[in-house]
Parts: sequence; structure tokens; C-alpha cells
Amino acid sequence: MRTLLEFKHVSKQYGSETRALSDVNFAVKEGEFVSIIGPSGAGKSTLLRCINRMIDASSGEIVFDNASVLALNKNELKKLRTRIGMIFQHYNLVNRLSVIENVLHGRLGYKSTLAGVLGLYTKEEKAQAYRLLQVLGLQEQVYKRCDQLSGGQKQRVGIARALVQDPKMLLCDEPIASLDPNSSKVIMEHLRDICSKMGITVVVNLHQVDVAMNYSDRIVGVNKGTVVYDGPPAGLTKEKLRAIYGADYDKLTEEEGGRHVG
Amino acid sequence: MHANTNIPAKPFNKSSFVIRMTLLMLVALTLFGLLTFDYKDLVLSEAIRKTGDTLGTMLIEPHAKHFTFGEALGQVTITIGLAFLTTLFGAVIALFLALLTARNLSRPAVSLAIKSVVAFIRAVPTVLWVLIFAVAAGLGSVAAVIGMTFHSISYLVKAYSESIEELEDGVIEALRASGAGWWQIVFQAVLPSSISYIISWTFVRFEINFAVAVAMGAAAGAGGIGFDMFMASNFYFDIREIGFITYMILAFAILLELLARWIKRKLAVNA
Repeated sequence: MRTLLEFKHVSKQYGSETRALSDVNFAVKEGEFVSIIGPSGAGKSTLLRCINRMIDASSGEIVFDNASVLALNKNELKKLRTRIGMIFQHYNLVNRLSVIENVLHGRLGYKSTLAGVLGLYTKEEKAQAYRLLQVLGLQEQVYKRCDQLSGGQKQRVGIARALVQDPKMLLCDEPIASLDPNSSKVIMEHLRDICSKMGITVVVNLHQVDVAMNYSDRIVGVNKGTVVYDGPPAGLTKEKLRAIYGADYDKLTEEEGGRHVG
Repeated sequence: MHANTNIPAKPFNKSSFVIRMTLLMLVALTLFGLLTFDYKDLVLSEAIRKTGDTLGTMLIEPHAKHFTFGEALGQVTITIGLAFLTTLFGAVIALFLALLTARNLSRPAVSLAIKSVVAFIRAVPTVLWVLIFAVAAGLGSVAAVIGMTFHSISYLVKAYSESIEELEDGVIEALRASGAGWWQIVFQAVLPSSISYIISWTFVRFEINFAVAVAMGAAAGAGGIGFDMFMASNFYFDIREIGFITYMILAFAILLELLARWIKRKLAVNA
């Protein structure tokens, strides 16, 4: 399998003091499902946003599909972003618009400014949006306003909006952090399917270690802006998890153990 | 503790003490003022009765002597026209400026620059702006339109940009991440989210502009019903005619309010 994304010595500095990422190196192969785990504030979100340059890395090199991301100009960056879909913890939909209008927003990057401003979508684009909503089980909700949907449904609209871009890669920033266990499972199954059936590479930021272990081909553990683990889920031993989550991990497992016993 | 010890129900509070003392002092000053006024020949009971009489004449026996009902209607239309035109100009220009002012769409420096200029314009009353522009354009409708538009812009830029800032940053981030451009984000996400606020604020300004337009007829010679009112009060001393004009203005103000409500309700259903 070909390498789709590669981080080479990437660092991100905020001001002169805070270092969000320092010397990050890892690669993602085409069609892989990679989870990034780590404690809050470890730099997971920053790392994800460096890929489509929602945040600009301070140094190093990021290669996506054989192009150096940091060297792209404004137009090339726009083109890059159309090929990377992104979904968010808080869904980030336009609540006052209908489901299908929100999904079609994923096509804006491909359109001329005027066509986008006026919301002129082609027949094929609308058909594609409808088809994706069907795949995600939202065919009943197509013309509903987004603020009438549940969290899980909103996240599926978010996924449809990303997929309608026809992306090579899907970036997911804490996609299930605001969802109940059932909706979380539905969303993770969909992401898994998107990866295995559509062949789209998926990179997910996750809080839940067990979910990451269940669904990923590979796990990248981040702590204080550095990669401390990069390997298969099976290789995540207790020692490795302690390296990712620090001393807190022991407390966490003790509490959980206690709860299960109780 | 003894039963007869004085325990305060509330501990001593400095700010409530200050407020109480201030109120006491205001009461004392008011009483002092009323007792020591130089009333000249004015008898209070007489004065109140006469004011009542005048208001009664004005509101119970309104008539139109110097113009017909049709003419008055035409004049009110001119006043509404002035209010409508300045609100429309103001709204269109303010919308574009608001896009550059809203913090989630603009650069901090640009936003701050527009905000401070607009705050300065807003601080000076509309009437004053009209009189300032009258220096260049002469007293009349031109100065009124420019001055009122000017103040409307500054008012609406603040109202619009704050409505736009209500939109979560995440929505804009999501569209930017999919490769959408600035104008596309504005028309596809920002405006659909804030259009009902924007229309609400525009109506509020329209009502303000209607009131200002009446005053402009009198103060700046902008024509309309305000000018008739000015003539009736300052030239003909005809209190009944003023009563007639007051009813006209009241009727139209109520009509505008009903129209605004109707449009807002329509929007609430469709949006």
C-alpha cells in the first residue's frame, strides 16, 4: 500500500512559550484506519488540523498525496481541502438549513464563487447527496431542519457532508465525544465501513481507548505534543498506555475496575 | 445570648447604605425644590386644568384647515418614503460593513477600525448629522437623506455584526475545511443563520427612522407631515390641526408595527 500522508519532524509553536507539537513523525497508508489517542491538551486537535492547514505547522514537512502541504498557495490549498473531508465533535452544521442543504455544502469547494453563493448545485450533486443520506440511514430526514435532529443524526449529516466532497481522506475530531454509547457505536461502524468499503483513509481523534482498540488498524499515541506510540492496537500494553496517559492512567483504570467490581 | 440583645436581621452592607442615603437625599432635594420654586403667577391647579383643556381640544376636536385629508395622506407618505429610503440605503451598506466587522469573518484590525468609526458616528445624534450635511447640501431633503442614512448605517452595522457573531466559529471552520471560499461561507452559512435577526433589527431602525423623519420635516425642511406640523404649531397656532396630524402619525405607526409583526411571523414559520 502506498503512503498517503506523512509527517516529517513537524512542530507547532504558539507564541514563544507553548509548544503544541514537537518533532512529530508518522505516516498513514492509503485505506488505513488510524486513531490518535492521548490525554486532553496533548495536541491531538492541533495535529489533525495541521493536515488540512486549518492550523499552520511552524516547522517540518507534511506530505499528502505526494504534495508538500506547507508549500501550497491559496488556490492549491483550497483544492487540497476539497480532497480531505472533516467531521467535528459539535457537528458544526448550519442549524437553520435543511439536512440536504447542509450536505451539499460539501460541494462548495468545487464550485465557482458565484455558483456557490447562489447555491446552484447540479442534478448529479443532489443525487449523490441523497444517495449518501440513504447509505447513512437518513432518507426520512432529508428536508428536516438540522436543529430538529438528534446528536447522532447530526453527526451522520456531518459525515455525509464530508463524503459528498468525494474525499481521499476523512479527518474526524472527537466524532463521538458528545454522543451516547449507542449513537457512538453507529457512528464508529459507519466510519469503519467508509474505510473498508469506500476505500477512504480515516484518521480519528479519540478519547476512548477501548473504541480506538476496537476499530483501528493502527493507533498513534500522543502525549505533550510528541508521538509516544505508533503501532497496532494489540501492541498497546499497560506500559504503553501509561506512557500515553501518564500517571493518570493508573488512577483511571483503578476507578473503572472499582466500578465494575461494584 | 440574651433574648433582648439586638441582633440585626441583615449584616451592615455598605452599598445598600449608600443607595438608601442617596434616595433619601433625592427626596429631600425634591421637597425643598417644590417648596422654594418661584412660581410667579402660576397656580398649580389652574395650570394642570389648562394643560388638560389643551390636550382635550387637541385630541377630541381635531380638524384639518390648511390641507385636506388627501393632502395629509400624501405628506405622511413622503415621511414614510424618507424613512424607507434611508433604512434601505443604510441596510444595504451596513450589511457589507457588518461582514467586515464581525469578528468571526474579518481580521481583528479591520473589525476594530470599523467598530470605532461607527461608534463615533452613533454617538452623535441623527438630527445633528442632518444639520452637519446641511452645510454642504443646504437644508432640505438631500441633507436629511444623507444624514439619516449615515446614522442608520452606524446603528445597523453594530446590530448586524453582533447578530453575525452569534454564529458558532465551528460552522465557519467546517466550511473552510471543505474548501469553501469567504463569499460562499457568507451566503451559505452566515446569512441563513442570522437573516431573521437582521430583518428584526432593520424594522427597529425603520421605526426609529419614521420618528426621525417626522422631526426632520420640522427641523430640516425635509418636507412631509413634520413640516405641516411645524407650520400648524409655529405659524397658525392651530392646536386642533396638530391633533389631526398626531392621529395620522399614530395611525401609520400602528400600521407599520402590524406590518413588521406580520413579516416577522412569516419568517419565523419559514426559516
